[in-house]
Amino acid sequence: MIQILTGIQNTSAALDAERTRLDVISQNIANAHTTHDLDGKPYQRRVVVFETALQNAMSGESNGSNLPAIQVAKIERDNRPPLQVYDPGNPDADPHGMVSMPNINIHEEMADLISASRTFEANLAVVKNARSMAMQTLSIGKH
Amino acid sequence: MLPLSSIPSVSANLFQQIDRLPGNTSDVGAIPSALPAATPTDSSSFSSLLGKLVSEVNAQQQVAGQNVNALQSGANVPLHQAVISMEEASVSFQLMVQVRNKLLESYQEIMRMQM
Repeated sequence: MIQILTGIQNTSAALDAERTRLDVISQNIANAHTTHDLDGKPYQRRVVVFETALQNAMSGESNGSNLPAIQVAKIERDNRPPLQVYDPGNPDADPHGMVSMPNINIHEEMADLISASRTFEANLAVVKNARSMAMQTLSIGKH
Repeated sequence: MLPLSSIPSVSANLFQQIDRLPGNTSDVGAIPSALPAATPTDSSSFSSLLGKLVSEVNAQQQVAGQNVNALQSGANVPLHQAVISMEEASVSFQLMVQVRNKLLESYQEIMRMQM
């Protein structure tokens, strides 16, 4: 394959990773009041862990850059204790009327959402720049 | 995205005809043999290089088309990947057009030459 826009693979991987982060944040916000997760306990906040990876090491292609790209290593649970809310009418309330709610702070999630979307935007700017660099290079021959 | 599947065969044919044009270096016997003569059957001849470029561009167009199709049919293809492959296809198409322009330009330059 001819490498027209070099470095785009890494940016594409970063866009993938940020998209996963956005997905996880949306999952957190959606489950902000879920008192029954898959294991029956209150939902625990999920956090994405990124890691670097050599993009071309696997495919064996040596053309293009061998710079490390980003990928999602794992999606971890946030182990902070659940929030205790007094709500005696809730079916999940204990004898004292306290309900264990997920350890999710909506404001924290919104801040993470902005951070993720700004990072996504920055990577899109890289793509745009690489494209305009290629187009400017192709216009050398024009007169 | 328009599939350019028919271009490689057409262009290969065209480039072979260009190679066979009267006045091509392969037909001029007067050129000293010290010069490296490019024979049309050589695997690294210009026409085969161009044909390779065209088929690469075609492959990228097809990849972009497949990505967009997969995206529209609901497969798990991220939006940015489809758009990036479209951009790659577009830029490599521009490269091919530029090469073609240069080729035509030099051909016309030679045709204008005073004998």
